[in-house]
Amino acid sequence: MSTEAAIERRRTGRLSHFLGQNVGLVLALAMLVMAVVLYCAVYWVEQAALPGMFELTSTVNNTMSLVLCGMGQAFVVVTRGLDLSVGGVMDLANALAAVHIKDTVGSMVGWSLIILAIGAALGLVNGLLVAIGRLQPILVTLATLSIYQGLAIRVLPQPGGSIPPVYSSVLVNPNGPSALVYVLVVALIWYAFRRSSLGVAIFALGNDEQAARANGIDTVRAQVAAFTLSGLMSGAAGLFLAATATAGDATTGNGFTLSSIVAVVLGGMNLFGGRGSGIGVIAGAFVTTMIVNILFFSNIDPLYQSFYEGLFLVIAVVLGALISRLMRRRS
Amino acid sequence: MAGKTALAQFRDRIGLTRDVRRIVYVYLAAVLVFAAGEIVHPGFARLDSIAAILTVASFVGLVAAGQTFVVLIGGIDLSVPWVLNAAAILLVTSSLGEDGRAVYAVLITLAMGAAAGLVNGVIIAYLGVPAVVVTLAMNGIMEGLTLGLSGGMTCDSCASYAPPVVQDAVHGSLFGFPTALILWIVVIAIVSFVLSLTTFGRKTYAIGNNAKASYLAGINVRLSTVLLYALSGFFAALTGILLVGFGGQASLGMGDPYLFQSIAAVVIGGVYVLGGRGHYLGTTAGAVTLVALVSVLLAMNMPDYGRNIIYGVVILILLLLYGREEKQE
Repeated sequence: MSTEAAIERRRTGRLSHFLGQNVGLVLALAMLVMAVVLYCAVYWVEQAALPGMFELTSTVNNTMSLVLCGMGQAFVVVTRGLDLSVGGVMDLANALAAVHIKDTVGSMVGWSLIILAIGAALGLVNGLLVAIGRLQPILVTLATLSIYQGLAIRVLPQPGGSIPPVYSSVLVNPNGPSALVYVLVVALIWYAFRRSSLGVAIFALGNDEQAARANGIDTVRAQVAAFTLSGLMSGAAGLFLAATATAGDATTGNGFTLSSIVAVVLGGMNLFGGRGSGIGVIAGAFVTTMIVNILFFSNIDPLYQSFYEGLFLVIAVVLGALISRLMRRRS
Repeated sequence: MAGKTALAQFRDRIGLTRDVRRIVYVYLAAVLVFAAGEIVHPGFARLDSIAAILTVASFVGLVAAGQTFVVLIGGIDLSVPWVLNAAAILLVTSSLGEDGRAVYAVLITLAMGAAAGLVNGVIIAYLGVPAVVVTLAMNGIMEGLTLGLSGGMTCDSCASYAPPVVQDAVHGSLFGFPTALILWIVVIAIVSFVLSLTTFGRKTYAIGNNAKASYLAGINVRLSTVLLYALSGFFAALTGILLVGFGGQASLGMGDPYLFQSIAAVVIGGVYVLGGRGHYLGTTAGAVTLVALVSVLLAMNMPDYGRNIIYGVVILILLLLYGREEKQE
């Protein structure tokens, strides 16, 4: 009896350990499944058919920007911070892309790399101010948000410019869900990050800064790196935004500061740092888009969109808080 | 080194603590900005010009009163823009521009603002959800409700004006001072009294310094938190009423500038963003400095983007300055 019971106990122990470690990820995936099922149901009622390749393609293409900036936000949230400048970096990347990218391979590749580098540099500025200036992430990024937005309007005062059609079709192919490849790439980036020494350092920093430092982790470097990664991902998100719109607008990125936080929260990341999965954030980004799709097919006035986004955000955080409280009480 | 000690002795003798010193610095900064404005644009520091700037500053200052309350306990209220905007629209749609309905409209609008803040506070205090997320979500909720219920400002009553009583009250003057400014001075007096001389104020500082210790000391931390967020919603709604009285009509997006400005006023005013230190008197000086700075930039014909950039740079510089003072002592 004793050995069997011991094995049994260990098995449930392992399962509940996994659930405890990944409760956010599991919830995010469950929410994604629920959202997809609900979407299919609403779509069936309205169109008497199931959504097909076209819907998949447009959903993936519309979500790519959010997947990228949500992942960027995730790197910072792991450190216990928050990056409010995400929208500003996207604005600037979007504006630069619309003004500079021309219809030659050299221009497309060259400027894409330059814009990604600029995104990373903007993130680096945030990181240095937070880590070396020892300032509050929220205030620093609120200030730099204002600065980056100003720079974006300087680059592109009026909506306009253009994105070469070839560029758009490489990033967001309208004829097939090929952007799923990029989703996979983002997921792989997260896996690589999680297994790198930098990932270990950033997670350690988020869990307990003093303990991390005591164990020889360069916390300043980790924090700067997290913000730099966020800037890089936001820059990429701005490129996808420009490619989707096929033109530039120095203000369309603004809403992504909120959306990226929504994606992170729906993705089950712990806002107190040190816990969460980027895979959950990808799911969270898709849930956000699905909510919009569901509202659209339920004939709900689009004016109410931010009401439902806010409501789902509250429900998600409240549920998350209740579940983690429940788990803590049981263990 | 000796000079510094002498300076420190002098500081001790006149009894300036670090917190008081910060507030004095901010008032000095406000004076400097006015002086700079006078140099760049002669006539900038004339009395009527100063009064106009102070009136605009009073709107920022009133929103920032609520923001100060929540920042003092280490929180933040990002729901300000749309609570303010919803209040402005609720005032015109519920009063329909009639004086007879003005009192009812003002009361229901203030109650709506306090209720939005109350919901923020309850979720933050009782469920332990970060304030940033809750208030950000509340901002979205209020935005969606405002847009949806008003049909994107296409409803018949949306085009109503604020009741003439409210408009006159905001535009009027008492003893030569604009009424908005007088209201602000009254609020400054009340808030300062509450913060410095009441148990509620002491509790607020205690929670901001150490919530756990405050709880162990017998303070009802949750109740205080809920009240403070409700106050923040109340002040946002009050500002919405004043703004719509000032401009006559409500519009979409009128609350957007006030998030950044209220937080900036708090930061410039030297309120410690992790809570427990600072005073509303500093915030008021912060609001005046900020609005005066914007006016100087306007007088210099600075384009929008330039103002955005300078806003951000000023806040960063101030944050760095205050951070440095922190380390020295």
